Amino acid sequence: MIPMIDLLMVTISFLLITAVWSHMSRINADAQVPGPPRPDTEQTPQEPEKTLHIEMRTPDKFTLIWKQGGTVVSTVDVPRRDNVVENNHVKEVHYPDLGAKIESEWKTTGQHRDATDKKFDQAVLHTDNETPYVNLIGVIDAIYTPKRDYGAGGKTEKMPALNVTFAVN
Amino acid sequence: MTVQKPGRRLMHFVPLAFVHKKVTGGGHRALSAGLSLTSMIDFLVVTVVFLLMSFSASGELQVAKGVTLPKAQNTLDMIDAPIVAISGRQILVNGQPAGNTQAIEDSKRMQRVDELFNSLKQQREHWKQVYPNKDFPGVVVLQIDQDVQAVVVKSVFQTAAFAGYPNVSFMVNQMPKASSGGE
Repeated sequence: MIPMIDLLMVTISFLLITAVWSHMSRINADAQVPGPPRPDTEQTPQEPEKTLHIEMRTPDKFTLIWKQGGTVVSTVDVPRRDNVVENNHVKEVHYPDLGAKIESEWKTTGQHRDATDKKFDQAVLHTDNETPYVNLIGVIDAIYTPKRDYGAGGKTEKMPALNVTFAVN
Repeated sequence: MTVQKPGRRLMHFVPLAFVHKKVTGGGHRALSAGLSLTSMIDFLVVTVVFLLMSFSASGELQVAKGVTLPKAQNTLDMIDAPIVAISGRQILVNGQPAGNTQAIEDSKRMQRVDELFNSLKQQREHWKQVYPNKDFPGVVVLQIDQDVQAVVVKSVFQTAAFAGYPNVSFMVNQMPKASSGGE
């Protein structure tokens, strides 16, 4: 009995010392930069895929634009409502309307929805220079709202349906 | 010394009636309380299970002083990658100073941060020397304060991309995930 209690005490001490109380995580975003030239491989021209562009340049609305190459396929405006929650100086900004609209847009126009499809639809976020970082995170978080099945290694898991590119122009 | 029957010994040999009454618990609570082993072990086991469930093998990441991270819901687990922190106006790469954002904030225009570029490029070359047969992942984690303006974020983002890190992750505080509710 005493060795078991000792073991429990030591385990509790170890776990308390190594405990992590704040859980950090990350939100992914790509930069579209040209890759190195590959003269050894022949490049075949491919039809450009539809890309969802999210314009965040005005304080009253978001503009969602589906583009195929340089051609605008469709445009829709979403009223911008900054749902800000501040707790101990830590801000959370949510855009539930934007998330819901992006989800419905992806369901109607998205091209990569099958679980066996290894590619993801692309979303490009455009913003002005004055937007606070917390609002950017809120919008990227909303873009990751739609989820799809993704089969890998014999099992299917839920993954964000859109891959985000952060436009720096 | 003779062998004696085990039992309570404390103050039993004091030849005073009121002491004897106290130590035998006569009318009052006894001075020596018993400990229920079953309850204590239950408590210890529950504590161990709780701590094991909240255990994180990746450890705790240090957030630069003066940086308040925003919260987000749809997040990924942290990965091992260089961390670029923007603390006040200073830029840090893995805790080491690598330029500042003064010029960007003054001009309000996006521009490359040369010190950051050189530091990240150095990190990339070091990685390639250590792992010569592997593809470089090109991932960098940005640890940015919630109130920093987008022009600074864009400048750091672009500098990282030019330095060979096109896959950028923004470090955030994880919010508990809401239930999806089914479709």
